[in-house]
Formats: sequence, structure tokens, C-alpha cells
Amino acid sequence: MQLALPKKESWIHGVNPSLKLLIMLMIFIGIMFIHDVDVMTYVTLSILLVFLASIKYPVKIKMLLLLPFLFIFLTSSLAMIMFGKGDTTLLRFGLIHVTEESLFRGVHLGLRSMVFAFCGMLFALTTKPVQLFYSLMQQGKLPPRFAYGFMAGVRLLPIMVEEYLTLRNALLVRGVKQERGLSGLVKKLNFFSIPLLSQSIRRAHRVAVAMEAKRFSRQKTRTYYYKTGFSTKDAWFVALFISVFMIGFAAADYLPLFSITDVRYR
Amino acid sequence: MRRMKRGLKLTDILVTIVISLVFGIIYKIWGPVYSLLTPLGLQIQELSYGMWFIAASVAYLLIRKAGVAFLAEVAAASGEFLVGSEYGLMVLVYGVVQGLFAEAVFMGFRYKKFDVMVVSIAGVAAAIGSLLMDLFRGYLFDYVWWNVTLLISFRIIGAILLSGVLANVLVKALEATGVTSLLRPASKEDFDSLRQ
Amino acid sequence: MDQIILLEDLQLKYPGGRQLFHDFTLSVKKGEKVLILGPSGSGKSTLLQVMSSLIPGVLEVPMLAKETVTPISWGYVFQDPDSQFCMPYVDEELAFVLENLAVQREEMPERICRLLELVGLDLEDMHTSIGKLSGGMKQRLAIASVLAMEPEVLFLDEPTAMLDPEGTHQVWETIKGIDEEKTVIIVEHKVDLILDYVERIVVLDEEGCIVADGPISSILQNQIPLLKKYGIWYPGVWEEYLEEREPACEVFSISSNQIPIITLDEFTGYRGKEKKIEVEKKVIHSGEWIAIVGENGAGKSTLLESLMQLIKTKGAYTFDGEPVQRIPFERIGFVFQNPEFQFVTSSVYEEIAYALRLEKRKEEEIERQVEGLLHRFQLEHLKTRHPYQLSMGQKRRLSVASAVIKQPDVLLLDEPTFGQDSKNTFRMLEWLSEMKHAGVAIIMVTHDLRIAENFADRVWVVEDGKVKEEFLGKEFCSKAGNRREQHAIGIT
Ligand SMILES: Nc1ncnc2c1ncn2[C@@H]1O[C@H](COP(=O)(O)OP(=O)(O)OP(=O)(O)O)[C@@H](O)[C@H]1O
Ligand SMILES: Nc1ncnc2c1ncn2[C@@H]1O[C@H](COP(=O)(O)OP(=O)(O)OP(=O)(O)O)[C@@H](O)[C@H]1O
Ligand SMILES: [Mg+2]
Ligand SMILES: [Mg+2]
Repeated sequence: MQLALPKKESWIHGVNPSLKLLIMLMIFIGIMFIHDVDVMTYVTLSILLVFLASIKYPVKIKMLLLLPFLFIFLTSSLAMIMFGKGDTTLLRFGLIHVTEESLFRGVHLGLRSMVFAFCGMLFALTTKPVQLFYSLMQQGKLPPRFAYGFMAGVRLLPIMVEEYLTLRNALLVRGVKQERGLSGLVKKLNFFSIPLLSQSIRRAHRVAVAMEAKRFSRQKTRTYYYKTGFSTKDAWFVALFISVFMIGFAAADYLPLFSITDVRYR
Repeated sequence: MRRMKRGLKLTDILVTIVISLVFGIIYKIWGPVYSLLTPLGLQIQELSYGMWFIAASVAYLLIRKAGVAFLAEVAAASGEFLVGSEYGLMVLVYGVVQGLFAEAVFMGFRYKKFDVMVVSIAGVAAAIGSLLMDLFRGYLFDYVWWNVTLLISFRIIGAILLSGVLANVLVKALEATGVTSLLRPASKEDFDSLRQ
Repeated sequence: MDQIILLEDLQLKYPGGRQLFHDFTLSVKKGEKVLILGPSGSGKSTLLQVMSSLIPGVLEVPMLAKETVTPISWGYVFQDPDSQFCMPYVDEELAFVLENLAVQREEMPERICRLLELVGLDLEDMHTSIGKLSGGMKQRLAIASVLAMEPEVLFLDEPTAMLDPEGTHQVWETIKGIDEEKTVIIVEHKVDLILDYVERIVVLDEEGCIVADGPISSILQNQIPLLKKYGIWYPGVWEEYLEEREPACEVFSISSNQIPIITLDEFTGYRGKEKKIEVEKKVIHSGEWIAIVGENGAGKSTLLESLMQLIKTKGAYTFDGEPVQRIPFERIGFVFQNPEFQFVTSSVYEEIAYALRLEKRKEEEIERQVEGLLHRFQLEHLKTRHPYQLSMGQKRRLSVASAVIKQPDVLLLDEPTFGQDSKNTFRMLEWLSEMKHAGVAIIMVTHDLRIAENFADRVWVVEDGKVKEEFLGKEFCSKAGNRREQHAIGIT
């Protein structure tokens, strides 16, 4: 959901969203079976390349988007590096015990998280929610009640942001003083969270009633305003990700980087 | 699934999805919170993990129907995913698993209990679900033993506090605004007072 | 039998409220055009929901009935324009209805286009975000989506409450133009334009009992005192009211040395980056009543929001002689177009008391003042209710009551009288008059030209995001009538 980002479409926008989701899930499962840190490194690098090449945002924004990934890498690897099992000690400091095994395992975990993050970001940036749910109904056989529930929900999200602004306006108009500091923040959270939640429940309820009034549940068959199907782009997309993995395995074979090939503890 | 079909009306589905999407945004904000706690070491961050199970508890306490907890957790995860979570796809898969585990607990109570106890137990179940996932994804047992123990206990404590106690507090506050009368069937007393 | 709707011995009660219908019986024949009238809060919206089987099918309100017959194919236009859509864009919303009807995809764009034309919603692009439409435009879209269903029975719950006179006219023309065969059930306060259309009138009292039911001619001939008693708008209410009212109060005059309370000079308001309202030069004095009129989407609400500094503005703006840095919220009362935007507490009583609580007034004083307003705005029996559980008209009155209680110097009101019965409208107007005489400057957006003519000192006409012209209240109708703008502001 590219809420605030400039919209420039890449070819991946044209890939069938259900297929895209399926591929992503397969990547997720596939990655779980890679225990070789060399393969993992190459796969990560190639997916990073795909990400950078296919997202059409200004370089500055791309760099900004990458920033959290670094963080992800650190947070998901650090604990394993410091507290993982292993025999070849590299460093010992109090409770911290870094071994060669735990170091590589940690790096491996960090890379895994990065791949999940790249794929997720790639998907989120190249998929319109409405298209996704239409496609899930048509190709994925998702019951329309859920698909439209999601779409209506997504439509309500910006309305809720607006509602937050409105509520703030209302409080201003009604003369509430703004407080600073932590206690002010807690108060604010309290003041906003309950009204916003209850308001969104009421709104959702009303929208559901209005949908029923438009005979949503009566109809057995339905047609679709947006038709989603398959195209050659889909084939390219599948091919792209198969080759990413093939390159990963091949490169690890010809050009191994690290001494450890299986990061699991025996 | 068949049960869900009979039980959940469009209003239930939409309300569940909408509040879950709100929680999805909170889930997304929670990512950095969790990450910021991580460098403290000793798995302190795990105490905050329970936030990621809260949608299931809140939705179940509000709507009190079968299937709601699962739907809520999946919807919240999808919301988090669609706004671009830094964890990417992982959240979706975790959401499904956690939702299933929480739902199983409510089913175990036959959808008849709606108190802190049940949601806390459901939170613990969701925590176990997430731990199982970690086992596959994160080589959970390759940490030294005391570290795994800390991780597991903190996550379970966090689950009880956040998706049990906090969820209950939230729902109580929402009940006070009268919004729940929309979601729950009319009471027998109301009908009886009409008959006179 | 050709009865298409039948309710027999209906009993209904909202949880926690008082019983609304006692042994209520009503039947509607196929093809009938029925108008349901009644004071605000009498249960009209609820009745429509029961007749369409939304209650108890979708909304589980406690209800009993000996027998109910409800139509299969029906369409419903709701009172609240903001929450009847489920898709983000105009075309997608209409497509949603067409999908429900299993219309072929190829036919959709053309049908959508035709529907938009039918309700007079001319957009540059069908794929416009619904969030960007003004209140009135949304209501037109809602009507379009109902017409898309080509239903057998149409339920219309004040479909024109937020529309400009021209739009109101168009909507009724559209509805009159649809198939003779269709059954149409209308709830509406402003009845002038449909008296030649409906055949039957049903009048409800405050408790939701039918006090009159019959062909339109007999009701309008024999039941006028009854209509008057229940505060129902009927042709000629205004004339009668104006006659009874004490001879018009003194004409407003500005003493030359008085400092204006508000001055505006090259004042503009922005939504995002777009300039949405522009005021060249205007001066407002204490004790003055200004009415703002204009088409749907012209920028009236935007103007009020700019004055309140809720959106970004540029240009010179002084308040009480001083350039505005931060708006003195304690001195300005504001009523949003959508009353729900305003509510910050969870009961009617607290909502009104809120401003006084902030000022830390004494409890007895708060009680005295709040009770006074509750009585004035006919909300006494709803004291403990959550603001969202009121009827539309009640919400509107509550929002006004909670804004006037702090006795501001300036009062900005965005359509404060829509959806009100005549009794409550006049009460509110009188209350505003009193405030005006106490020296409050009132700036009020309205689509009701009678109000502009009879109560306002001056009328501003907003068109395309500009305050174009200004008239003296009294001369407004006659002068504006001669202008080209007559079309835009609906004087015929
Ligand atoms: N959700 C609700 N919960 C409790 N009470 C309600 C609810 N909705 C409406 N009521 C009450 O039921 C009564 C009838 O409401 P309804 O909305 O049907 O009135 P109405 O005739 O349409 O009024 P208006 O002309 O102001 O729209 C009102 O007194 C209102 O306060
Ligand atoms: N939140 C918003 N974001 C962007 N544009 C908006 C928003 N609200 C209104 N607009 C646009 O600003 C213009 C003026 O809208 P505004 O609501 O002020 O009209 P209005 O005169 O009050 O109409 P109405 O009589 O229908 O209430 C319209 O073109 C509308 O599309
Ligand atoms: Mg109503
Ligand atoms: Mg407006």
C-alpha cells in the first residue's frame, strides 16, 4: 500500500497478485530449508538486486527504504551470535560467548530476515490492495465476504486517519489543552485510542449494513469489475525467482565464501 | 470452516477486519519497539512480543463468536504486511499460526467463556505457536539453554500481560462506550420487556 | 394480495431506551408512494429499517411482531452520507452494486456513467476518490448506487438533507422520473417538492404511534393542527410562523466606532496544496448574523474550517482587533457539518457539560445550565444516552447545544438545522437570535434560503471556492433572483 510514496509502476505491478503472493510464500518455505550460509548470502544478494532494479523510486527513497533492513539484520542476528551454541570460541565476555558456529548461524538468521523483508517490501510496493483481493476472489476462490470485508477495511483506514485528525480538531475546538511530556502522552493515548476504536467499530458496522442493503449477500454468482488473469509477466516472474535460487546454489558451489556449510548445531 | 460460515455475518467480519487493521498498524509500529529493546540483551524484548497476539483476544472478547480470533489475527498480520512491515512475509505466516493456536483455545472452551483467563490462555497458546515457528525459522534450540529458557518465559509472560490483561482492559473500556450493543445479540430481558 | 409490506403488532425497543413502537400496524400496497412524517426522534429511520428487514436481519434490535411481510428487492438511501460506501473510488463503489447484480463487466463503465449523469454528479474522472467529495456529492453517489439496483421498493431516509436547493430539485426529479410501478417510501422533513408526488402520508408522534394515515389531500386539508402540534413541516409553516413571530427586531446597524470582531483580507484556505477557498475582503461585527449559501462542494465548510484554522490558511485574519496567531478556541464556538465529528464524551449530559467542566465551574451551576439547554433542545429524556445512539436530528441538536453553552463571542455553524422538524428549527433559530442580540456574531452555512432571508443580516454567496457576492438578508431573495446565480442557489 503505497500510501505516501510517489507512484511509478514497474512491470511487477502487472504480475497476478495471487501468484505473486504464492511465489512469496514458496520463497518463505524454501528459505527455511537452506542451512548453508554461502547459498543464503548469494540468494540474499540476488534478491536485493531484483528489489533495487524493479522498484521505480528515486534513489534517495530506495536508500531510506533499505535503512530498516540493516536494523533487522542486526536485531535478528545479534542474540544468536552472542548466545548461540558453539565450540570454537572467538570471544567470551561475561555471559556473552561468541563462537564461530554461533557467529555464522547469527549471520545466516540475519540474512534470512532480510530476504523475508525484501520480498515483503517488494510485494507491498508493487501490489494494490484492491487488485490483490479481486485476484484472490477470482483465482484464489476467497469467499467475497472476506475479500470485500478486507477492501472495505482498507478503504476505512485513511478515513480513520482522518478521524484521528477530526478528533484532534474536535478536542481543539472544544477547548482541550495540550499537555507535554510523558504523562501528557499517556493521557493522549488514552484519550484517542478508545474513541478511535469504538468509532471504527461503529463505522465498520454501518458500512456492513450499507453493503447488505446493496444486496451483497443475496447474490450467488457475481461478476467482477476488475478482471485479473495471467499473462507472460507471470511466467517471467516465476522464472526470475527460480533463477535467483539456482544462481544462489551455483555460486555457492563455485565460489564458496565461508568455511561452514551447515549452520545447524550438531 | 463450515461453522464459521454459519456463524459470522458480514457485520461481524467487517468489524473484525477493521479493528484488526487498526491493530495491524500497531503491530507495524511495534516492530521498531521490539527491535529497540533487543540490544539490551537477555531477551528482554520478548516481554513485548505479546502485543502481536492482541488482535485475536480483543476481537474474540468483542464479538464472541467462532472464527473471529483467527480472522482477526490473520487480518492484523495482513494489514501489517500490506503497509510494508520490515519483517515481510514472515508476519503473515506467523499470523496464521498464532491465530490458529488462539482459536483452538477458544474452541476448547466452546466459545462460552469471555474473561481474562481465557484470553490469557489463548495468548500463551499463540506464544507457543510463534515459538514453534521460531524453532523452524530461527534455530531456537541452538541458543545456550539458559537463553532459550529466558526467551520462552519472557514471551509467555508478555503474552499474558499484553494479549491477556491489556486486551481485557481495552475491551472493558470499549464496553463502557456502549458500542458493544451493536455487536452482541439482544439480551433476553430486552425481548421479555417487549412481551408485556 | 398486492400488499408489499406488512407489519402487524410491531413492538420494538433499543436496548436501554424506551419502547419505540407499541402494537404498531402498517401496510403498504404495491406501487404506493408513501411519505412518513414525524418529529425528530419519533422512529422514522427505525421504521424504514424494519420495513426493509435490515432490522432484525442485519441489525439485531429487540423486536417482536405478529406478522411481517418485507419486500425482496429494495434499495435504501441512508441518512448519513459518510458511511454508506465500501470502496475507495466512485466508479468502484457503483461497480460493487453492479457486481452484486451480476452485470457483465463490459457493460459496467457505461452504466456507471449513465448513473452518474442521472443524479447530476458530473465528475471529470469516474475514478475519483470518494473521500474528496463534499457531503452533498456523496449523497448523490448514494442515490446513484441505489438506482443502480433498479429495486422494486425504494426507501429514502432524508436523501436531500445535505443537498443544495438545485440538487434537491434534481434528486426529486430523478426519483419522480423512475418507474411508476415502484413502491417508494420516503422520510423527509422538507416536503414542499414532493407533495405532488406522494399519494399517502403517515404521521408518527414522539412515541412512534401513527396519529394520522391517509391520502395526501385529506391530511393536508383536515390535519393541519395536528401537523403543527408535532412540529411537522407543511406548506405554509414559514408564513404562519413569521406572522406569529414578534414584529421583526430592529435592523442591525453598525455604530461607526465599533471594532469588527473579525476581518479578513485576501484570506485563503488550503486542503493539502490546493487552494479551496478565497475571501477578498470581509468584515464581521459583534451581533451580526451572516448566512453562507452556495452549491454542494462550493467550499462553505472549507471556509468555516479556515476561520477555525483547522486547515492551512494564508492572508490577513484579525480577531477582535488582533492578528490571529493561535485561534482563541474559548471564544469561538464551532459546529461541524457532521455532528458526530464533535462528540468527545460518552453521554449526552456530559457532552453538553464538557465546556463548563473545562472551565472548572461549580457543579450546581453546570447542572442548571445543562438542564436548561437539555430542555430547550428537547433532549431531556436522552441525558444518559451515548451521543452516537441518537437519531440524526437529535445528534444535530446536541452538537449545537454543546457549542453554544460556553457563550462564545463568535459562533460558526455548519448547517445546524438540517434534518430538524419545524418546532426544533424555530426553537434553535430563536435561541440563536437571542445570542445575536446578546452580541454574538453568528456565521452560519445553510441551504435553507428562508433562514437566510428571514434571520440573517447579510448573506454571502460562495461559488467555486470564492466568496463571490454579498446581499443584505432581507433583499437576498429578490435581488439574487435577478442574477445569473439564481440557478446555482436554487431560486426558481
Ligand atoms: N442505536 C440506537 N440505540 C439506542 N437508541 C437509539 C438508537 N438509534 C436511535 N435510537 C433512539 O430511537 C428513537 C428513534 O430514532 P430514529 O433514528 O428512528 O428517529 P427519527 O424519527 O429518524 O429522527 P430524525 O428525524 O431526527 O432522524 C430516538 O429517540 C433515538 O434516540
Ligand atoms: N477532506 C478533503 N480533502 C480534499 N478535498 C476536499 C475535502 N473535503 C472537501 N474537499 C473538496 O473541497 C471542495 C469544497 O468542499 P466543502 O466541503 O467545503 O463544500 P461545501 O460547500 O461545504 O459543500 P456541501 O454543501 O456539500 O457541504 C470540494 O470540491 C471538495 O471536493
Ligand atoms: Mg432519522
Ligand atoms: Mg459542507
